[in-house]
Amino acid sequence: MNTKLALIIFSLVLSISSKMSFAQCDTIANVCYKNITAKYISDGQQYRALLLKGENAEFSATLFGGTQYRMAACSGMTDGQLVFSIYDKQHNLLFTNTEHKNAPYWDFKVKNTIDCTIEAKLLNGKLESGCAVLLIGFKQ
Amino acid sequence: MILNLKRTSYLFSAIVLGGMLALSSCKEKVEEEEVEPLDSNKTSIVNINGTLFSIPSPIQTAMLLKQVGAPYNKAMLNGPGKIAGYSTEAKRALNLGAYGADLGYIILYQQTQEAIGYLSAVKKLSEDVGISGAFDAKLIERFKLNMSNKDSLLVFTSEAFRSSDAYLKNNDRGKVSSLIIAGGWVESLFFTSEMFSGKVADKSKLLERIGEQKTTLDNLIKQLTPYYQEEGLTEFIDNLLDLASEFDKIEVNYVFVKPTTDEANRITTINSTTEVTIAPELMTTIQEKVKNIRGLIIN
Repeated sequence: MNTKLALIIFSLVLSISSKMSFAQCDTIANVCYKNITAKYISDGQQYRALLLKGENAEFSATLFGGTQYRMAACSGMTDGQLVFSIYDKQHNLLFTNTEHKNAPYWDFKVKNTIDCTIEAKLLNGKLESGCAVLLIGFKQ
Repeated sequence: MILNLKRTSYLFSAIVLGGMLALSSCKEKVEEEEVEPLDSNKTSIVNINGTLFSIPSPIQTAMLLKQVGAPYNKAMLNGPGKIAGYSTEAKRALNLGAYGADLGYIILYQQTQEAIGYLSAVKKLSEDVGISGAFDAKLIERFKLNMSNKDSLLVFTSEAFRSSDAYLKNNDRGKVSSLIIAGGWVESLFFTSEMFSGKVADKSKLLERIGEQKTTLDNLIKQLTPYYQEEGLTEFIDNLLDLASEFDKIEVNYVFVKPTTDEANRITTINSTTEVTIAPELMTTIQEKVKNIRGLIIN
């Protein structure tokens, strides 16, 4: 009986914490979306991953030539909590926000279409865990 | 060949995973004490081997068609009157994505008289798949008030799709989210493929755009394979796999060139080059297969 009660409580905690994690992602995404200003059109998707300190989230994307993109990467409620880097398919580094004071967003002018991987991780020493949100906007 | 083996292994993993999930749910009934611990990998996002996939927006394809001077082609669109025939969740989600792509195309070509009909179709299908919040009366009102401003209409539409995507991911409905994206992507690939046979002076950009989506197609297949055995999806995914085997024949030459950054304006220019070569007979095969896959969605 006690085991069953413990199981029910544990399941409830699990369910509530899972919902809270998603609620956290939603709040972060809404704050982050402000970085995709009216000048950019959202790609219609919201990319997010629940991360522990030291873990990486990997996003695979194709960026079309002749397009300007804005990428916004957020975690936590303040800017600069997420480190994000972009690599081409040969793993050449194209960009990392660590070279730009962990900027929460950056623009990319893409001359020719490119397949890339976006890696995101929580900033060292700040958050123990958190939701990493990546948003992509574009314009021509 | 290697890529096909990779795709098959994704498919196999998805089927095995599906089987394991089914078995574990049966087992849970017998051994109630066994509970999975909470970990960071347990999220509803589409996460295959730790990677998330971004599929380009159909609006980007419509922008390219406009840029190369392709004329507006109403006959190419899926008529909004067909929604009553979409009775399964999968069909509704796929066609929601397809109508979203149609709507983006219509807005970009400023065919406002058509837009409301397509927006209504999107609204009805979004209600049918349980995501009506993003396409509510408020959006339609904003739409009507900004009919002459295509930029605003594109922002409203893509924002509504982003909200729906977030809602679906929040509620463990990754399948519907992936199918909406798949429907939009196939529809936009169909547009490019159709216009390649149409009245366009410079077809090289269309050819490039088709070939450049080789990786996107692979990503889409990886996103969909967890649902391979679900009702109505096996044939669709099999056809995507078949199309991917044709895409493997496309030659893509990529050369890395160091990017340049303008720190003051927070912008980096990606200078690398990509060259795409598609043999004419391969293009014909791809066009036929894209048309068939699109037919599986809309018919």
